[in-house]
Amino acid sequence: MSTTSIDFNKTRTFLIDTTKCTGCRGCQVACKQWNQLKAENTHFFSGEGYQNPPAMSEYTFTRIKFKDYQKNGQNEFAFYKEMCMHCNDPACASVCPVGAFRKTAEGPVIYDDKRCIGCRFCMMACPFGVPKYEWSKAFPLVKKCTGCYSRVKNGKEPACATACPTAISYGPRAEMVKEAEKRLKAKPERYFPAIYGKEEAGGTSVLYLTHQPLDELGFKPITKRPLPSYTWQALRFVPGIFLGVGGTLSLVSWFQHRKDRIRKEEEERAAAKADSTKGVNE
Amino acid sequence: MTAAARIVMNEIKGYHNFIKLMMVLVGIGALASLVRFIFGLGVTTNLNDTYPWGLWISFDVVTAVPLAAGAFTIGIVAHVFHIRKLEPLVRPAIVTGFLGYSLVCVGLLLDLGQPQRGINVLRYWNLHSPMFEVSMCVMAYTTVLTLEFLHPVAERFGWHLPLRLLRTLELPFAILAAMISTLHQSTLGTFFLIAVDKLHSLWYNPLLPLQFWLSAIFTGLSIVIFEASLVHKYMGQPDESELLATLTKIIPWIMGVYLCIKLYALAFLTHGPLFDRPVLLALFLAEIGAGVILPMGMFFTRKIKTDKKMQLRAASLVIFGLVLNRFNVSMFGMEQPGQLIYAPSIIESLVTIGIIAAHVLFFVLIAKYFPIFEHHPEATDYTIPDHFHRIEGHESKAGHELRAEG
Ligand code: SF4
Ligand code: SF4
Ligand code: SF4
Repeated sequence: MSTTSIDFNKTRTFLIDTTKCTGCRGCQVACKQWNQLKAENTHFFSGEGYQNPPAMSEYTFTRIKFKDYQKNGQNEFAFYKEMCMHCNDPACASVCPVGAFRKTAEGPVIYDDKRCIGCRFCMMACPFGVPKYEWSKAFPLVKKCTGCYSRVKNGKEPACATACPTAISYGPRAEMVKEAEKRLKAKPERYFPAIYGKEEAGGTSVLYLTHQPLDELGFKPITKRPLPSYTWQALRFVPGIFLGVGGTLSLVSWFQHRKDRIRKEEEERAAAKADSTKGVNE
Repeated sequence: MTAAARIVMNEIKGYHNFIKLMMVLVGIGALASLVRFIFGLGVTTNLNDTYPWGLWISFDVVTAVPLAAGAFTIGIVAHVFHIRKLEPLVRPAIVTGFLGYSLVCVGLLLDLGQPQRGINVLRYWNLHSPMFEVSMCVMAYTTVLTLEFLHPVAERFGWHLPLRLLRTLELPFAILAAMISTLHQSTLGTFFLIAVDKLHSLWYNPLLPLQFWLSAIFTGLSIVIFEASLVHKYMGQPDESELLATLTKIIPWIMGVYLCIKLYALAFLTHGPLFDRPVLLALFLAEIGAGVILPMGMFFTRKIKTDKKMQLRAASLVIFGLVLNRFNVSMFGMEQPGQLIYAPSIIESLVTIGIIAAHVLFFVLIAKYFPIFEHHPEATDYTIPDHFHRIEGHESKAGHELRAEG
């Protein structure tokens, strides 16, 4: 892919420290404002817990998930900001027949709505369930977090990162990884010992630190291999198989037809011989 | 104009009720797809962000493509391996393939959010996308099938020049068809390789494309049997069970290879638990037991060479197994525990029923008006009236010379 030329140490990356998140949902609001997304009609407990809206959608690119748990007999909340992970080697980009998705050198994975034919393969492929569809429209397109590419390109931070008072840091990936590792080492009692996104799906441009075990918070366990490599290991054989099948079948048919021809010629010759001997005898 | 319309009406009135029923179903399907375009996918289907792909992808594309594989498989057997006696089976298979692929295109376009942009696939190539590959192949192969289908059409209307051309291209087309089909039949399996942590381990393994390809081959041949038996039974066409016996000798071996690969992959190439979801396990066992092992056993018996009923039954089981397999991979196996279960909406079902009905309807109509089954080369006069080499006595003179030399 074209992503091979990208230096993943430099791609801009979110470091989201969920232990510092207060659940203010400033990012959620900032995202709606910056992207001019419609509000959704929401009810409490229409989804899994207190969070609203119940899921990311064509109108909601990011969302704070609430997780209630017990600590020392007290009810506590943990929060987790859901958004596009901006994978280093994105599954959505690899499966799209028209290449509508692209990993930019700046970091965000962006979507070209002029190309999209609406096949929804990206939705099927994304391991994090990020791309959403405009189900309300007769000719729908795909919607997802843009990584605020237009802001990042112009040297600004994404709207959600700017709005966040405590939990989101934004910078080159190598620095963010180093920062995350530093925090893990400095306060091991505060953190679950893992950086989600460092290796998940081959590495992403969104990194999470948590207090709870990842699965308890609702982080999906995901393969460490870049997803496109799973399909590529089959697709790379395509030209070879195409020519191989063609060549083999051509050979087989040549051989079979030759057998047939030789048989026919022999018959003919035998007939001719019979003919000529008949002539001599006469 | 009115006279022509009246002739058409009278012709239709003479049809069997079954054909009329098919026409009604096609009409309903067409209406339903119109509704989809007016009101959008969200309202008319049960698709949502959790289930971006539903019945239309699972059946109209992922299942319909291998069901239309008869054309290329019988093409290999009859033309490439040059088993000439199977020639009568080729044309019906090509008609089925042609209809099948045309309807796959219809199904795909209905399912796309932006069908008017379908052509973008040709403008922006993404070689890493299995979907790109399948769309290219489907377009190319539909073209090949259309050309192959022109054969009986040209014969019917007595277009000699195209006929001559098409006849010389028969073998190259058969090979090309096999090349293209190998690619997209297997790549349909590659689709689901991206669903690493989604598709259940009973089906997810790196050999999925190979399995899709093999199962398309033996199902393609089974479809030929299925069709020939039904057409003999209900349309009064000649009994081909002797020719079908040749196919029953080939099919079980391919099934055997398929089964071995499947079991090997299951034993050595899967990650994750296999037996944790009873419903999926039951579906898997039904697919393997009733859809592969049972018909394979039937095909291996000696009796099937002569027993028409058994041929039909075994072929039907294979088809059942394939359909279940494709649904298992593209729908059931993708459902995560605790998720709401997807069931197609009425509109989705009506459209798919309409597509199936269209297939049956067009097949019957084409068979009625074009020389599809009459094509027994050993019984037909192959010489075409040839306007270009119509020199009297040329043929016989050449013949004499040859003989004199010999
Ligand atoms: S999280 Fe999903 S949508 Fe975002 S870049 Fe990765 S694969 Fe694409
Ligand atoms: S829905 Fe659009 S962006 Fe997604 S894979 Fe299909 S064409 Fe690409
Ligand atoms: S990066 Fe931009 S689009 Fe993405 S969640 Fe943040 S504000 Fe929304």
